[in-house]
Amino acid sequence: MSTFSPPTAPGSNRVRIVVATSVMLTFISYWRAAAIVLNDLASSAYYACGIAEQAVGKSAPWFIVGVMLFSFTVRAVYVESCSMFVRGGVYRVVKEALGGTLAKLSVSALMFDYVLTGPISAVSAGQYIVGLVNEVIVTADAHGWIPGAIHNIFHGTPQFDVNWTSVVLALAVTIYYWWENIKGIHESSEKALWVMQITTVMVVILLGWSGFTLFKSGFQRVPLPTPANLHFSKESLGFLYHRFPGQSLPQMFGVLGILIAFGHSVLAMSGEESLAQVNRELAHPKLKNLKRTAIVIALYSFIFTGVSALLSVMLIPDAVRVPVYKDNLIAGLAMYMWGPQLLRLLFRGFVVVVGFLILSGAVNTAIIGSNGVLNRVSEDGVLADWFRLPHRKYGTSYRIINLIVGLQVFTILASRGNVYSLGEAYAFGVIWSFAFKGLAMLVLRFKYKGERGWKVPINFHIGGYEIPFGMASVTMVLLAVALMNLFTKSVATVTGIAFSVVFFVIFTLSEVANKKKTALSDRHMNDQFQLLQRDTVDRQSLGIHRGNILVPVRDYNTLTHLHWTLEKIDTLEQDVVVMSARISRFGAAAYDLAPEQIFSDYEQTLFTRATAVAESFGKTVSLLVVPAGDVWTAIVQTANNLESSAVVAGVSSKMTTQEQAFNLGRAWEALAEPKRQFVFQVVHPDSEVDTFRIGPHSPSMKDEDVLLLHRLWLNITREPGLEKLHHHEILTEALTRFAHDYGARDREDILKELRRVSAEDSGGPRPEAMNPPPGPVVRRESDDGPPAGRSN
Amino acid sequence: MDFLFTLLARFLEAMFVIGLLGSLGVLLVSFVEDAETLFDMEDSSHS
Repeated sequence: MSTFSPPTAPGSNRVRIVVATSVMLTFISYWRAAAIVLNDLASSAYYACGIAEQAVGKSAPWFIVGVMLFSFTVRAVYVESCSMFVRGGVYRVVKEALGGTLAKLSVSALMFDYVLTGPISAVSAGQYIVGLVNEVIVTADAHGWIPGAIHNIFHGTPQFDVNWTSVVLALAVTIYYWWENIKGIHESSEKALWVMQITTVMVVILLGWSGFTLFKSGFQRVPLPTPANLHFSKESLGFLYHRFPGQSLPQMFGVLGILIAFGHSVLAMSGEESLAQVNRELAHPKLKNLKRTAIVIALYSFIFTGVSALLSVMLIPDAVRVPVYKDNLIAGLAMYMWGPQLLRLLFRGFVVVVGFLILSGAVNTAIIGSNGVLNRVSEDGVLADWFRLPHRKYGTSYRIINLIVGLQVFTILASRGNVYSLGEAYAFGVIWSFAFKGLAMLVLRFKYKGERGWKVPINFHIGGYEIPFGMASVTMVLLAVALMNLFTKSVATVTGIAFSVVFFVIFTLSEVANKKKTALSDRHMNDQFQLLQRDTVDRQSLGIHRGNILVPVRDYNTLTHLHWTLEKIDTLEQDVVVMSARISRFGAAAYDLAPEQIFSDYEQTLFTRATAVAESFGKTVSLLVVPAGDVWTAIVQTANNLESSAVVAGVSSKMTTQEQAFNLGRAWEALAEPKRQFVFQVVHPDSEVDTFRIGPHSPSMKDEDVLLLHRLWLNITREPGLEKLHHHEILTEALTRFAHDYGARDREDILKELRRVSAEDSGGPRPEAMNPPPGPVVRRESDDGPPAGRSN
Repeated sequence: MDFLFTLLARFLEAMFVIGLLGSLGVLLVSFVEDAETLFDMEDSSHS
């Protein structure tokens, strides 16, 4: 046996690791990107106007419309930042422009925003559900359908306590998504698109029916947004109420009243940050598609949030709008349409179902987004690595998820189901993260003179200097609103500042501790590993031959498949590449990572274990780390680039081997040409192996099928003129006839028969039988070992 | 104290009004560009 010889740097005994710096992603269209952002942004339509009207009075819808128009300009700021940085989120931009301290502060505000997005969305969804259930009970009672005994128990019509029941429902939704995120179940852009399609159907019905109702029943006027029409509550004036008790500030200061009202409506445009997060996954041409995404989300949210806010005040009578429907305004709108009550109630049910889908989607987006942001700052050394340690079974950053969801659960309980308080606090996080962002982008106009893909318009040139008038204007509005909100939202200011300070302190202390630790681990890493940075992965950079074996590794406790591969393979004949995919999912508000960030402490431990396994066999392995959007894309792209003949993986804790092959097959189908087929082998802990072929290939035939084919050939070649017929010609004719029958009248019969055969074959329906893989994946061929063969 | 508050209030009002006017300009200019981007569907990527 040869001695262990990992690839080493010339003149040293350090292990060489190739770190790819270009992220392997599956790209999405701008429609899907818009759907992901709108799942967050459009959900605010369900609660924004109700909160604003409680704060400023009946003219609130005009302020919501104003905020939605203003959101077009905030969106422009995000487009400019994304044209400069692939992930132009708050943290990156502020750090670049204003330095680490303000970046930490801005991330703290963003975290406050994210932590509150979940509770406000979940509680709001609860309010809509409980409101509907109570309304149905009241309607049933009016028809005498509630038994007298139940009446007696409840001393009248039974009703759920709206706020506390909403709290219970909100907790259930939050805990559900906590568990999904712990397991690492990735919500697809398809689901987001589907939710937005259903939402669009609802919005079209809502607008159409409302228009008809306006025509049939008339409407009430929405007071213009003038100081005289503003009616601030005690809560909505915050500290100013105590400073000027009993005085009418709008009348005293005029424009100041408009500013206060604008500040109470600003939460209608929450969710813009998601735009920066999906940017990286947008398909080519990226900037154009980013602009299209931004236009779609701005128009959609303007129509949905802005117009529905106006309609709610125009159609719902004053007597019930705030007292009854303040927390479920769109449901109230459904109930005041022109038409029979049953139809209105059914539509309200539809509104609630859509609301639940979109609002619960926002809960998930909040967890994913905040997990991504904290992972990002952790990668930057601003949060202790302890938070980022992967879950033993699922490999997710469960400590960060636990922290976020813990804070969200606390917030839900502390709010006691009060959407108004949640909304007021939420606005603090929203406006301050925007204000930091705007300020940072403005500073970057002077600090970074290089080319940008796009600029916020209205830029003057005076004496060779560019004056960014448009950018400065947007920033001034954001800062004015953020500063005003400090005075008018007392609870939000206190809780927001306390929260931000606590996070800021955690970030600062973590950074100090990490600097010391990093110095030590850097020394340790420099002794053991040498990182070779490469833009893309290819055979030359790893110094390997075609036909190699790719072994993806994730958990250093489960390296059975690496053991199995090294047992079977002579690495002098066939190269083995051990690969770790560094997943950077949607939500990681970051952009390209430095090699040291891609190759973190965790990867160090993982590769130390992998090289120890190779050492125990005395064999050579090549080591590779690739950043990726999802693990399947990373594996197939790497296998394709390296011209691997096989991929050997361990069994997933989340899915069956068939599902693993299905996902790999799907990623392979999405791969651009030219692409190569390869064998995918999944090694069980007991060293049993399932083998699949990825890509089109000759199927493995059963003995009886070969015999049948041969018998047919014997019979047919006895016929005159067919003596020279080949076996494959019989197969061609049979398949042509099969294809014809499948495309014509016998499709259902064929499918029925195939299902029967498939079930008999596997002793029960297999996942691919129930859900056919898009790629031609064939199960279990040979367990002898990875396919051999080296070619240059 | 009242003077300081009034000063701050006027400052915020000025920021807000100038900012809104400038933002209105941004909105109008970007509307034209948005229309061009949205209706130029040559190489759009639907899926």
